Amino acid sequence: MRYLTLSILCISLVHAIPAHAFDLDFQKALNLVKSAQQASKTVDQSEEIEIGHGIAANLLGASPLLADDKVQGYVNQVGRWLSLHSERPDLPWQFGVLASTDLNAFATPGGTIFITRGLLLRLNNESELAGVLAHEMVHVLRKHHLAALQKGARMDIASMLANEALKDKANTEVLDKAIKAGTEVYARGLDKEDEFEADRMGIVIATRAGYDPYGLPAVLEMLDASNAQDSSLALMFKTHPAPHDRLMLLEKQMAERFDDFTAPAQADKRFESEVAQLK
Amino acid sequence: MRYLYTLLLYAALVAPVHAAQVGYAVRNTEIKLLPYSDAATVATLDEKAKVNILLRQGGWVKINSKNGNGWVRMLSVRSESTARKPGDSGLMSMLNVGRSGSSSITTTTGIRGLSEEDLKNAQPNPAELAKMEQYAVSKSKAEKFARDGKLKSQSLDYLPGTPSAAQP
Repeated sequence: MRYLTLSILCISLVHAIPAHAFDLDFQKALNLVKSAQQASKTVDQSEEIEIGHGIAANLLGASPLLADDKVQGYVNQVGRWLSLHSERPDLPWQFGVLASTDLNAFATPGGTIFITRGLLLRLNNESELAGVLAHEMVHVLRKHHLAALQKGARMDIASMLANEALKDKANTEVLDKAIKAGTEVYARGLDKEDEFEADRMGIVIATRAGYDPYGLPAVLEMLDASNAQDSSLALMFKTHPAPHDRLMLLEKQMAERFDDFTAPAQADKRFESEVAQLK
Repeated sequence: MRYLYTLLLYAALVAPVHAAQVGYAVRNTEIKLLPYSDAATVATLDEKAKVNILLRQGGWVKINSKNGNGWVRMLSVRSESTARKPGDSGLMSMLNVGRSGSSSITTTTGIRGLSEEDLKNAQPNPAELAKMEQYAVSKSKAEKFARDGKLKSQSLDYLPGTPSAAQP
């Protein structure tokens, strides 16, 4: 880490000599690529959470929370229970229902998960909700957004994330830039491979927590049959692979492996009463 | 015994769909007498054949079709797209049809706020973030919630081909 910081520093200093600019630009670019690649390893958990909270605050700037303590509490209990079946049960997991009528769900680094009121109202039971939340949780577990941030953001931001700047908290500018670039990832979407991974891992997490493995596939089926021209689906469809393709992959991957798992009726049935007041 | 269990499950788990959802087969698939892979095969459902989807149980849906009636794997059929219906409220799902009032949801006026442009221009709302943090629940509360719902933890590995999980 120290060496990395030093090397970036050295390169910046040398770069100040214009006579060698061409060669050194190339070397600098190489080093920036290298450091950006290492950023996912060097962004520690507290930074991950801080970036995630910044992005979450931005998303909440676009849509506030639904003003309903009961529904918010319910979704948090489902989500927190799911998190106990992941590799990172000790993250500060928090879940929020956004007031937006769009159909969508989001995850920000460090364990903040959102589902829109519009999507929540399209669901039929707790297993479907668990399927959606578990899909989002995988983006956190696998650090998909941090990777996308480094890949898509300006290289200087990515490389700054890899150095010590965040650790001394002196450079809030770096953090702000990372959060701004991070928020743009949500307009652009992740790699489709990340989405497929979130599907197949999310299904396992939901099943581990005792839910119907077919909760998420049922939601994807609903989306597949939905009007693709509907503006409330525009961003979700733009930023995700087609539901049909996701279902085709899941069919292959799930095969008969999940035949013996079902959800208890008590869990699935309470969904109706928990979200009833939204209808 | 297994079939008896199934019958009990019907009563407890399966929410019957009031009106059948129209769908189609995405591949040739066996129609089973019961929702199990080792149940008797009734007929073969042809790829692209129209089906009426009556209800879902786990990974299976009960269907009527010209090929026969029975259970097929849920992922071998799709609901008919509503894409040809005009307007912004054309959403429908086979699992929604049984729920009264769901068709009025998208007519509710409300906040949109999550278009691509909205996200690019979003300004932070730290007050809402602080509110959200108050909704977070403890592990023990989540465990009680699971017990109340009779949810039981199961041990299950990630699916083959899944890269090993990220370490905290």
